[in-house]
Amino acid sequence: MRRGILFFLLYINSFVSYSQKTDYSTLFIPDSLKTNANAVIRFNQIDITISSQRKMKIHTKRAVTVFNERGQYAIDANENYDKSTSVSSIEAIVYNAFGKEIKKIRRSDFKDQTATDGGTMFSDSRVLYLDYTPTEYPFTLVYESEVTTSNTAFIPTWMPITSYFVSIQKSIINVYYPDNLGFKKKETNFSKFKVEKITDTSTQLSYQVSNIIAQKAESNSPSVITIFPKMLLGLEYFNLEGVDGNAKTWKEFGQWYSDKILSGTTELSDETKSKIKALVGNEKDPIKKAKLIYKYVQEKSRYVSIQVGIGGWKPMYAKDVDRLGYGDCKALSNYTKALLNVVDVASYNTIIYGNTEKMNIDSDFVSMQGNHMILAIPNGTEYVFLECTSQEDPFGYQGTFTDDREVVVIKPEGGEIVRTKVYSDKGNTQISKGNYTILENGDLSGKIAIVSEGTQYSRKAEIEKLKPTDKEAFYKEYWDNINNLKIEKVAFTNDKEKIILTENIDIQAREYGVLNGNTMMFPLNAYNQFSEVPQRYRTRNNPLEIDRGFLDQDEIEITLPENYVIDAKPSNFEIKDKFGEYKTELVVVNPTKLIYKRSFMLNKGLYEKSEYENYRKFREQIAKADNSKIVLTKKL
Amino acid sequence: MKKINVVVAFLLLVTMNAVAQKQELGKVTIDELKEQAHPVDSSAAAAILFKKGEVRFDYSENNGFEVITKVICKIKVYKKEGYDWANHAERYYIGGNVKESVSFSDAVTYNLVDGKIEKTKLKSNGEFDEKVNKFWGRRKITMPNVKEGSIIEYKYEIRSSSIGTIDEWRFQTSIPVNYSEFKTYIPEYYVYNVNQKGFIFPKVTSEGNQKTVTLTDKSRNINGRNITTSFSQNEMKYEETKKVYIAENLPAMKEENFVNNINNYTSSVTHELSMIKYPDEPMKSLSTNWAAVTKTIYDSEDFGSELNKNGYFEDDLKVVLTGINSRDEKIALIYNFVKSRVKWNEYYSYYCDEGVRKAYKDMTGNVAEINLMLTAMLRYSGVDANPVLVSTRSNGVALFPNRSAYNYVITAVETENGLYLLDATDKYALPNILPIRDLNWFGRMIRKDGTSAEVDLMPKMISKDVVNLLATIKPDGTVEGKIREQYFDYNGLVFRTQFANLAKETQIEAIEKKFKGLEIDEYEFSNKLELDKPIIENYSFKHNNSIEIIGDKMYFSPLLFFALTENPFKQETREYPIDFSYPHQDKYLINITIPDGYAVETLPQSVAIPMSDNNGGLKYMITSKDKQIQLSVTMEINSAIIPSDYYDELKAYFAEVVKKQTEKIVLKKV
Repeated sequence: MRRGILFFLLYINSFVSYSQKTDYSTLFIPDSLKTNANAVIRFNQIDITISSQRKMKIHTKRAVTVFNERGQYAIDANENYDKSTSVSSIEAIVYNAFGKEIKKIRRSDFKDQTATDGGTMFSDSRVLYLDYTPTEYPFTLVYESEVTTSNTAFIPTWMPITSYFVSIQKSIINVYYPDNLGFKKKETNFSKFKVEKITDTSTQLSYQVSNIIAQKAESNSPSVITIFPKMLLGLEYFNLEGVDGNAKTWKEFGQWYSDKILSGTTELSDETKSKIKALVGNEKDPIKKAKLIYKYVQEKSRYVSIQVGIGGWKPMYAKDVDRLGYGDCKALSNYTKALLNVVDVASYNTIIYGNTEKMNIDSDFVSMQGNHMILAIPNGTEYVFLECTSQEDPFGYQGTFTDDREVVVIKPEGGEIVRTKVYSDKGNTQISKGNYTILENGDLSGKIAIVSEGTQYSRKAEIEKLKPTDKEAFYKEYWDNINNLKIEKVAFTNDKEKIILTENIDIQAREYGVLNGNTMMFPLNAYNQFSEVPQRYRTRNNPLEIDRGFLDQDEIEITLPENYVIDAKPSNFEIKDKFGEYKTELVVVNPTKLIYKRSFMLNKGLYEKSEYENYRKFREQIAKADNSKIVLTKKL
Repeated sequence: MKKINVVVAFLLLVTMNAVAQKQELGKVTIDELKEQAHPVDSSAAAAILFKKGEVRFDYSENNGFEVITKVICKIKVYKKEGYDWANHAERYYIGGNVKESVSFSDAVTYNLVDGKIEKTKLKSNGEFDEKVNKFWGRRKITMPNVKEGSIIEYKYEIRSSSIGTIDEWRFQTSIPVNYSEFKTYIPEYYVYNVNQKGFIFPKVTSEGNQKTVTLTDKSRNINGRNITTSFSQNEMKYEETKKVYIAENLPAMKEENFVNNINNYTSSVTHELSMIKYPDEPMKSLSTNWAAVTKTIYDSEDFGSELNKNGYFEDDLKVVLTGINSRDEKIALIYNFVKSRVKWNEYYSYYCDEGVRKAYKDMTGNVAEINLMLTAMLRYSGVDANPVLVSTRSNGVALFPNRSAYNYVITAVETENGLYLLDATDKYALPNILPIRDLNWFGRMIRKDGTSAEVDLMPKMISKDVVNLLATIKPDGTVEGKIREQYFDYNGLVFRTQFANLAKETQIEAIEKKFKGLEIDEYEFSNKLELDKPIIENYSFKHNNSIEIIGDKMYFSPLLFFALTENPFKQETREYPIDFSYPHQDKYLINITIPDGYAVETLPQSVAIPMSDNNGGLKYMITSKDKQIQLSVTMEINSAIIPSDYYDELKAYFAEVVKKQTEKIVLKKV
């Protein structure tokens, strides 16, 4: 008998659950979980049951205690659905601070709405969401839902911590799967947060994590997805919107994607083909051919997002894009590929996470990933990447949206993991040459030419597109250190061939020099002040990340009013650190002519959290040096 | 002779050209396609060459009158930034009794290809229909083949069984509009209030026409056992008024800071049904003036009858009011009772949704449920309280008498000291301290007898912010000291809304972020929930960024990090009034001890910088004695809204303020 009981206990222990009658009183929340918390996840249990290659059920049961308005989002009671995904049940119950039930929320009380965001023209995805008005704080909301889908290509990633200022009492995941579909997983940051493995067999996986205190957001931190625990889940045999797939390696994945999703989408009319042939003429060099075609696509098309069924994964037909002149990233990349085909230039659809915050395709976890598509053209041993949704980007320019990250290049013979172009810190330059003159009443007039390259080019190219009034407003903000500023002239020269952008700007400002009796003072560095100092934290938890470096160099000629002499001037300043180098130098050419030279190089890097305070001090010294002033005295 | 002929021919040409330029679809010219920039506004990314709308009433025996709105539109795209104009969406109502539908047609993109006009038609794959939520559907088009230089044309028709309002026609938008025309054909049975607003008024012409509708009547006659059906044809004759509004060469609307709602200034015309005059029926008045508007609202079930219910709260309220006799105490108790009992679900309306009874029971409700309940409770306790209709800032200013002019309701108590305005939807609000969203020109109070009166919603009282700062400068240029800051009235409301729920550390970090180089210690704030008292912040600080040591001198602004260093007004000219939400005064009382071994070399002068017409001003008083410097600075903005005529002065004033506040004290080593 004894043996029997033990066996039984073992059996129920092999998966985790939180099904006992729970007391939702907030009295039972440990104080440590209340610190810095707007909400506490009392428990969050996700049960994923994969019954076949084409069927997956996701059951969620979650109790969240919300302390105030800012904790409301932690409830996160919503489910998306579409043709292949249905919500079989969804409901919630609200309890007050003492654990007494105060409201039942049924499916019909959830709002049903299209899941189209501002940037999407059309999508057949919809969302059921809870719009609950709390009548008191704290309260506890227990949410339960079940979703069924045929899309086994996307098994939700498990991330017990998804946001800041929310603590977690318990979070559980159970996954059940047949042993013949090639189930796989990848864990990151589990040990740091003491995630416990309960079960890991050929058909079942269970993890849990307890008592995680609320995390605080900190500036210059690496992305949330790289510092918190995360588990990717996937199948080698999967289904995507009705299309079966199987891939153990990126090579197989690429073959499947080419065969099942991309094939047959690049046909074009004979008329278009001959037009493209005529456009390219006798050009032989593949990259030069591609440049002509990229320009053609940029002039002809625009970006419109349409996400319908497999259209969310499969590109629109190239011949439709040809006629309509628009499409999303997949459609436009694929269309460009079709045009390149016509003139025998090879190119490959490339799956990527497009974002200014860099994010890699997880190269050792073969699965559907990414949120964006670009096009890769082989050039010797490397690739040139084209952003086909942009009507403005120079050929092969990656900017900050697709630079320096791992991507999957889909070739018919198989997929391949490649890193996109890395812009070196020294190559992200902003070289300024200019002058300004100060009159005896303190008024300033000046001219400057600012030349930007590398990742700095993309920021400047955005300004070029602004309306004149917005440009003016931009520069008034950019030079907010100069009061009473008037922008006299703004001219841009955009060399897309060399990817260099030059701004030529003339400015005037009343009373830049501040008069105090017989003296006048003003900061020498009028054009390029780095006044931003990272915030001070009493305790820093996250590592420090500087995700992109740059090099700024300034050389400014300053003309002083004739009837003043220099009373005091800042001494030359230099600071060298692992974070970068900064140097200023003032050359007195004659009593009224100065040359101010400045260079600031910031290095890309990832550092221990203890380095944060050093970095803050480094930037503080730079801010101070950038604001150092010259003092003039009136000749008597 | 010859000369005259030429002139005639020229005139003819001009007229013909004018005819050819008539605003119809399908008349795209090569010159239009070649145009590279808008002739008046070269920065425009796109322009509306014309947009014409007409509203007609169609009668059918099954549906009665239906409102048919037909719009044709021709757009020129000059730049890639104008590509968004190639997408268009129209929503339609799908909830409730109203039937609405939208259809697009004649959608074509024109391009110039090798000197020839190329037409690309919109096909069904560029048209999308989606259900947004249970009330609204949306039809969208995305035009094919759009490039720089393209011309886009489309037409759409909205059919609606709702005759209450005709959609607002906006003559202006964010791109230039060359020609905008709006026609209405309204049968004599309906009288609409027509309201025009904005800085540009269209030309209006009007004419009457006879209309005839043929109706087929079916009647059944029973003669003994024989039943026969006979048809007869009737004619319905009515007078229809055609009105045409034309506006030309409208500039693009510009966004500006300190504007409460740009739509207040957009030229537009709105129609609201004010009277129905069916033949052989008594006239039914809906809203011809503010009195009629308020009556219509008051008489509605979701307003008046909800206001008159009190059974649901009687027992509870008796307990609350036990032993209380003074009016002001009753107001305070009832106001707090409603605030704590019913939470706002963030829905606006002056009509109740689920009703006050359910809101009371569920402890959550919309604006009307909460504030009508408040009014009812006050009345029940013998306080003279009335609802006040309000148009929130996001809804725009209530300019013309119509029901949609308002979207919100609050409560007013008439007293010998003037009105107490109350809004129980915000837990930090107080009598006469309303949520900022309510502060929008005038509201309308409805009394029990149905009469109404205008209520000024803009705060008149000056909300203060007082800073007391005690600082000591160290020989190395760091400053240490203590700060006490008090936020009164609206400043208290804004502070509570932003910060009351933040963790203390986060709050400190927010201040440290605002003032570069500041390190805060011993931070505390009080009166978070004592709403009638100011918020009081106390902290000690250390700052290493406010003193500059150059040579043997120290330079610093006596306002230290509180100095205003940047003019908030940067634009060269201003179109719209400047909205400060509420009048306010910022006061700084500062005492600085300078380090040993230094003496004051120069001190800024004390000054007063007033603005004209009592709009506000700066007072700056500074003295020094031995090691002490004392400063008192007062800055006032005396009215919530300042007209744009004062912009130049206001900008110049702030430039002077920045100059004065950044002016330096110079200390010299002795």
